[in-house]
Amino acid sequence: MVKEKLFLNDQFNQKVEKDLLAHLLPHKKVGNIFIFILLAIILVGIYAYYRQLRYGLIVTSMRDYTSWGVYISNFVFLVAISLVGSLFSSILKLSKATWSTPLTRISEIIAIAAIICASVIIIVDMGRPDRFINVLIHGRIQSPIIWDVIIITTYLTISVLLLYISLIPDLAICRDKLTDAPRWKKWFYKVFSINWHGTPEQNNILHKVSFMLSVMVIPVAFAIHTVTSWLFSTTWRPGWDSTNLGPYFVSGALMAGAAVIIGAMYFIRNALNLKDYLTDKLFDHMGKLLVLLSLVYLYFNINEYLGPAFKMVGVEGEHIIELFFGKYASMYWLVQVFGLVLPIVVLVFAWGRKPLPMLIISILVLLGAWFKRFLIVIPSLQHPYLPIQDVDESYRHYIPSWEEWAITFASFAGCLLIITFLVKLLPVIPIWETKKEEGGEPKQLEV
Amino acid sequence: MKNKAADHRRKFLKSSIYAGVSAIAGTSLIQGCNTGASNAGEKVKLLTTDGTLVEVNQSNLTKMSHQPVSPDEARKGIPGRHFVMVVDLSRCRNARKCIKACDHHHQLTPDRPFIKVLRMQDNKASSPYWMPKKCFHCDNPPCVKVCPVGATYKRSDALVLIDNKRCIGCRFCMAACPYSARVFNWGKPKPQKTDHSYSPETSVPSQIGTVEKCDFCPDMLRQDKVPHCITACPNGALYFGDQIADSVTNGSETVRLSTLLRDKAAYRYHEELGTEPNVYYLPPSDRLFPFKEAPEGQPS
Amino acid sequence: MKSVIKHILIISLVATITTDNIFAQKKKTARVQVGYFKNYDKAEHLVATLIVKEKRYVPLSNGVIHFYSVSDTSRVLLSKIHTDNDGKAVFIINDDNPKIIKGPSGVFTFEVEYEGNSSVNAAKRKIAIKRGDLEVSFFQKDSTKSIEVSATEIGLNDQIIPIEGVNILLYVQGTFSLLNFGKEKTDENGIIHIDFPTDMPGDTTGVLTIVAKIDDNKTFGTIESRGEMNWGIPIEPVKEKQRGLGDTDAPLWMVYTLIILLSAVWFHYLYVIFLIVKIKLVNGSI
Repeated sequence: MVKEKLFLNDQFNQKVEKDLLAHLLPHKKVGNIFIFILLAIILVGIYAYYRQLRYGLIVTSMRDYTSWGVYISNFVFLVAISLVGSLFSSILKLSKATWSTPLTRISEIIAIAAIICASVIIIVDMGRPDRFINVLIHGRIQSPIIWDVIIITTYLTISVLLLYISLIPDLAICRDKLTDAPRWKKWFYKVFSINWHGTPEQNNILHKVSFMLSVMVIPVAFAIHTVTSWLFSTTWRPGWDSTNLGPYFVSGALMAGAAVIIGAMYFIRNALNLKDYLTDKLFDHMGKLLVLLSLVYLYFNINEYLGPAFKMVGVEGEHIIELFFGKYASMYWLVQVFGLVLPIVVLVFAWGRKPLPMLIISILVLLGAWFKRFLIVIPSLQHPYLPIQDVDESYRHYIPSWEEWAITFASFAGCLLIITFLVKLLPVIPIWETKKEEGGEPKQLEV
Repeated sequence: MKNKAADHRRKFLKSSIYAGVSAIAGTSLIQGCNTGASNAGEKVKLLTTDGTLVEVNQSNLTKMSHQPVSPDEARKGIPGRHFVMVVDLSRCRNARKCIKACDHHHQLTPDRPFIKVLRMQDNKASSPYWMPKKCFHCDNPPCVKVCPVGATYKRSDALVLIDNKRCIGCRFCMAACPYSARVFNWGKPKPQKTDHSYSPETSVPSQIGTVEKCDFCPDMLRQDKVPHCITACPNGALYFGDQIADSVTNGSETVRLSTLLRDKAAYRYHEELGTEPNVYYLPPSDRLFPFKEAPEGQPS
Repeated sequence: MKSVIKHILIISLVATITTDNIFAQKKKTARVQVGYFKNYDKAEHLVATLIVKEKRYVPLSNGVIHFYSVSDTSRVLLSKIHTDNDGKAVFIINDDNPKIIKGPSGVFTFEVEYEGNSSVNAAKRKIAIKRGDLEVSFFQKDSTKSIEVSATEIGLNDQIIPIEGVNILLYVQGTFSLLNFGKEKTDENGIIHIDFPTDMPGDTTGVLTIVAKIDDNKTFGTIESRGEMNWGIPIEPVKEKQRGLGDTDAPLWMVYTLIILLSAVWFHYLYVIFLIVKIKLVNGSI
């Protein structure tokens, strides 16, 4: 009887290994076309940035008053996306939501890709990127920008550590099983699996480290997005002068992160043929999670706007009117309705939590999330305390230039490229954890 | 003999020194002579603006040109001073001479002026008025607080200046400033004529990708002269002075700052923001001119 | 008919151009103003200001001003001086200058002249002054601080005569300008008394410079005298180099908080890396 179960376990585990390692072997031209498109978009972005370096930020549509534009709003968006790593490898893990295990690896990969692109974008926004070294030489720790530099570095480091720690046993499997992989890949697996053989002692250390990082990543992740919100709330601007901004940003980030995971799940499941692992049931779980996170974000949204809208204080009131009824009204209501209310309504029904509807909803949520950050950054800058006068008419509006769009899309492409590269290099679903959980009692890996 | 002395004096005037015939430059001239005593030459009599007659070695005269202070030196304030500006709103008629003088002195293009004259109207019932607005040089400056690299800084003499050789162009200061006092060099600035190396005290030359603003003309203050906008105002609407010495001048009259602020019920914009501006405004009551809208074509 | 109009047009056009040329060749009007100044260190000088009419009068730089000493019978050139950027030329009067002629009843007459050039007209102006002097004395009785100023002039035979009925202004020297606090006419002894305000700020030790002035007087020009007294309210010396959110150096609590937070986090990172190395080594021992 015991022997039979072991045999079944073995059979199951072999299938798991075979399925989950399949995408690491070179095959399929489709992936290459995808990479080519991404590279093309990045090249256009690089050309746009070359123009910006050559002529200055004049190539953007930013001017005095609207002195921050899509670079900053996109930065906030990417930082928001990066929070997803902490959601899966920490919050869900620590709360023993075992259904989320297959999603930890992809969430960590997305987190790293997003945070790298966010750092690139913030450098793109600088008027003098050649002087970045001044941040190290003359850095003033009183400045929220320095806090941001510190916390981005800290979060990127912990994200890499988190990804790597949970990878070690899988890299060992790759090392042992992927004997016909290209040489550099084999070298990579060999070096980075650091002699992992799954001994009890190694397992003990791994669990210890993994737990430690899971706990630590929560404050660090909350800090990165709270500090990002402080970039706004520490300024003397009516639209940003809010104590709500920290949790508002964090909750919005977690919601956007969940949407990103749903999208990623859908594409990975189809492109890599992993329907057995990224199941409909998993989509159902994610749908429920997204409803929860959306409700939290809805709460903070109401909290953010109700007070100012009720009081209508001076410029703050003008800002609210601009959002509710003015030139940003259509964007504002589209974002609130299709990016926030509609997902909640659709996802409470079981039919809404099927893969395809979920994909559509997640795209809406992501679009909403991106434009929401646009709405947070730009209209506030256009409502300073003293009226905008004595300037060219173009200073009163802000429609991003093609260079700004090109760089923004390049940042998305860069993000996707990093994800694609890592997915081609690393098992996208944790093999050892899948084996362990689906196979009955915890198992050690065979040498 | 008399003529010869006059001739020397003329040479002296021609060298860029004349601007330096102020108390400060005058003193440094004498010091320069003492150290270079071996440098034998004819003596020249100079008159400083505070009326001291000094005799200096002629060979030393050309050495001293009017260089603005270095960026490091410009981080320290002029000792014992706390500069303030008072704007009498009842005297402004949007003549825009201050903007012109400022643009000329700082070699600015009209798209990024340091001074703006805003058309303000506090409520529907009250008449509009013109409000000349520069940097408020706050004592609790938001821009300085948020600057990541200390490129913008507060000095002991109350000035808030920018070192455009350190600025990284993040524009956080622009977002932080509640008075929109700052302008940015989005593109390459127009070539500017200057014989001097860059100093935060002159803001010239401008640099691409860095931020700029009204600097209260510290190069003038070092010579005990008021900023250019003050003397440019045809209506004496702008007063400038030293809070510590409690006196401000609009170029023609000098008054006690405390008396002026008290008697005219001076106020500062958005006191509630806690920025502690060093620019005071006198209410636009009992106006010198009735309010007239800006002419067509003037940007507003 | 058409050709007539054409001709008229041409003629008027030519006429316009010619008249324009005539106007263009017309010389600009120049004016020269002159003032006599006696500074607190008794240095005397004449300041000539040369202005030229453009749209309004503006200073003319690098123009040559001739300074003359004038009597009823003679006119002696004292000096030629170029004007500076403000259109000013300064001539220093030396007591022992033999060229300067003393007129009757102690009046000195000077003339300044600008000879003009191809585009600017000539201009000249005379000034007649008596050489006066101001003496400032300070008195303090209980809390009352008062200033006595006596005005005197030098007569024909170098005797000293009090000036009666001249306005004397009193100032405190400010950063950019003089701050007035009193004005009075001298009595028959050439003396005025003015109380000093009690609330005037001085420097860090309360010292301030008090200036007495006869300002732009027809007979005496501008005469200034000054003295330093510790009658001001001492001001707090400005503290440099503080720690704060708006200063170069961060407040200490912020430094410590950041160090504690970061070291706590980054220590754990190092520990994690240490454990990763340990995973590798642990296996090696098997």
